[in-house]
Amino acid sequence: MATTATVSISSDIAPGFGGISESMTLTQAGSLVDIDSTSGFQIRKLSAAAAVDLITMTAEIVEPKDSVAAKIYIRNIGYKGVIDKSVGVTIGVNAEPIGKLYGGDWMMMPLTCIDADDITADPSPSDDTVVLEYVMFYEEA
Amino acid sequence: MATTTAAVTLTSDLLSDNMSVSATTTCMKAGTTADGLDGMEYGYLDLVTGDEYDLIGATPTASKASKLYLKNHSTDETYFIAITQNAQAIGKLYGGDWMFIPADFHDAAGDIAITANGGTNKICYALFHEGITLVTT
Repeated sequence: MATTATVSISSDIAPGFGGISESMTLTQAGSLVDIDSTSGFQIRKLSAAAAVDLITMTAEIVEPKDSVAAKIYIRNIGYKGVIDKSVGVTIGVNAEPIGKLYGGDWMMMPLTCIDADDITADPSPSDDTVVLEYVMFYEEA
Repeated sequence: MATTTAAVTLTSDLLSDNMSVSATTTCMKAGTTADGLDGMEYGYLDLVTGDEYDLIGATPTASKASKLYLKNHSTDETYFIAITQNAQAIGKLYGGDWMFIPADFHDAAGDIAITANGGTNKICYALFHEGITLVTT
């Protein structure tokens, strides 16, 4: 079965936009060999206005290989079944803010997995409780 | 209200039982529940090797709820595009890979830049946003 991801985007912003529907099989860099490692599916509750490491690269039990084909999925799933579109969490790489996931929003992003390029989550300026679900797929070093 | 929805289905057999995750979100303006993103930019182009290019030419309003979709449509799996933001390497999209991220565009340095490797890469991108500043001639 491998590891696969399918995206479907629909929008009525622009007349005639037919939407996007694409799939990918997560493979190792530059090959058709399936990706072989994962952080496992996890959740993390945030309840303070401070940045934390969601993924600390050096802390992974199976060491990730640097600068290849890793991917991460993250979703803001709200708290106790309540998804609040006004509560956002800024996701960053090595302290560089990539963007904010508001309630229900998800992202799929490639990663370098370099030691310094930890994935951070920062709910500031809100300290509302919010839970992120995430899973990283990568190549073993 | 304009409506943009993004859905993902993720499956994997790397764990002891098969994992399957599905999620859908309606892309709203920052911090609102009543107003959807109302601007978009959509393109399909060849990305030649040799230089780093800003993917987005105009500047979306900073620190909002923009979403960026990008796919490498190259059919050669050894081709890839490297993605950086503000000189920070984000990752690589090999032929067939896609990404969907919230894009902060926190300031003028927050552009998302891409570099082709291996050969000319074909890419498709869509930016959903809540306002951009066009570059004057």
